[in-house]
Amino acid sequence: MLLEVRNVTKKFGGVVANKDVSFSIEQGQIVGLIGPNGAGKSTMFNMVSAVFPPTIGEIVFEGKNIEKLPNYEVSRLGIARTFQNIKIFKNMTVIENVMVGLHIHTRSSMLSAAFFSPRTRKEEQILYETAMEYLKFVGLEGLYDQMSSSLPLGALRLLELARALATKPKLLLLDEIAAGLNHKETKEMARLIQQIKEKGITVFVVEHDMDLVMRICDKIIVLDQGSKIAEGTPKEIQNNEDVISAYLGADIEEKAGEGA
Amino acid sequence: MLGKGDYDRMKEQTSSRLFLSRFRKKGNLKGVQQTNWIRFCGFLALVLLLPILVNESFYLTKATFAGIYSIIAIGLALLMGYAGQISLGQAAFYGVGSYATAILTTTYGWSPWLSLLISILLPALLAFIMGYTMSRLSGYYLAMATLAFGIIVHVLLLEWREVTKGASGFYGIPSMSLFGYTLSQGVSYYYFVWGIVSLVVMLSLNIVHSHVGRVLRSIHDSEIASSSVGVETGKYKMQIFILSAMLAGLAGWLFAHMSYSISPSSFSLDASIIFLTMVVLGGSGSIWGAVGGAIFITFISVVVHNLGEQFTFITSDFEQVIYGLILVCVIIFIPHGLSALLYRRSKGSY
Repeated sequence: MLLEVRNVTKKFGGVVANKDVSFSIEQGQIVGLIGPNGAGKSTMFNMVSAVFPPTIGEIVFEGKNIEKLPNYEVSRLGIARTFQNIKIFKNMTVIENVMVGLHIHTRSSMLSAAFFSPRTRKEEQILYETAMEYLKFVGLEGLYDQMSSSLPLGALRLLELARALATKPKLLLLDEIAAGLNHKETKEMARLIQQIKEKGITVFVVEHDMDLVMRICDKIIVLDQGSKIAEGTPKEIQNNEDVISAYLGADIEEKAGEGA
Repeated sequence: MLGKGDYDRMKEQTSSRLFLSRFRKKGNLKGVQQTNWIRFCGFLALVLLLPILVNESFYLTKATFAGIYSIIAIGLALLMGYAGQISLGQAAFYGVGSYATAILTTTYGWSPWLSLLISILLPALLAFIMGYTMSRLSGYYLAMATLAFGIIVHVLLLEWREVTKGASGFYGIPSMSLFGYTLSQGVSYYYFVWGIVSLVVMLSLNIVHSHVGRVLRSIHDSEIASSSVGVETGKYKMQIFILSAMLAGLAGWLFAHMSYSISPSSFSLDASIIFLTMVVLGGSGSIWGAVGGAIFITFISVVVHNLGEQFTFITSDFEQVIYGLILVCVIIFIPHGLSALLYRRSKGSY
């Protein structure tokens, strides 16, 4: 088992965001986490990537408890993520963003950097070339020297993906990676996620685009109001009575509430 | 409207750029912030030439002071622009460095070169303790803590009379010698200070344009994204804070051995605010901006001094008013400082 979430509960004051959730992710799968808005998907993601710890419960990655580790250590163990509301380094160029993603594979310190040692210089060259490889993988190599703040949304999502991949993760968390993308871009993203899986990286996605989820996922976990209500293959989920009533019911209410 | 041909041409341009990029000289990392060494050489030339153009000792002393302030301003610019923190206590680190060497060389007879170590390491230690207790250095806590620290150090320098000799100041600091040549106020000390400034500028530019600098910029942009790719954000902020304290200590050491006497008034909160003004004026995060800001502020004090000789109503308190005005004007009109004005064309290159 690559990742195991055991009886995790998260409370924010009086609000229970996740209630006694357990599931596991096997090596090499693409697993989807779905549920209506406010179901606790992002909270779960933030706990797995150690942005904050669970109130109760354990999160085990490769046999190691990670729920109390700071998030930079979790990323060193091999968990990388993208963010729903893109968090790119705006004041940097595209390639510099990916070079920061390579950080955990660097060794030069501030002191060696100050004296511009040959090792630092060589490392910089390697970082640059490696970063370019990742840009080629997501198809952004043509924009490598652009300021990242000037990129359109689709390219920003790809850049975040490249930056996350640069950490060489074992588990990649994608938080609504297709949000705001058009049909063609979503299709391209699906293809990329499949390719990432083929490289042996396990992918865990939170997604609202049902087409995408059903097409790429090996397993789907459904949350509703903080609790897990179903788990299974896309087919099983599509035919699950609980999911249909909870999901569609909530969806209709939501739409009426938002007026959207 | 873009026709089909336009798209093809755009595609071609992109791919030809990629094609060419394969033949780029190794080591030319386009798209990555790098040091402009031509600018650095121009700076060196100016530093070398100034004493030939200006040989009045008053101006040379002021130019030397500008160098000492540059060192402090560079440290503060790194802290503000790269770690996103504000320190209101740089004058205290400056004072600790200055008094450490004054006491060690005068009272205990150490060599200035030996006390240099203490002048740099003691501020570093203090910064470490301060940074460590506020483990993550977030928000305005560092600004408040350094403000308090600055006041404590100033009071200590005033009141610990047995050691610091109190408000009247510490007299009889020996000047230092380099290879048997005595460095005293004037041309020799000017070159000594600006030689060190050049070194500090070079090392800082190297840090800023290295992987470490890039990581620091990433923390400034988004701390959460930065730590999500494995950056120990707290560690880097701490390192920069310690570096800024060390630079202030080094400046203090230079100041003490330039002057025969030092007094607590040079290390008050006012001084910390002036250093802050230099950095804000130059543009935080810009090494050249910090040097420019230090020179500009020193220049103003010279102008006020000269005006004061002609008009008796202009006293040195006038400087404070002007610094305040500058700070307000910069924040309103050029919030990113002078360097941003100069570099508006060459975006992203410092």
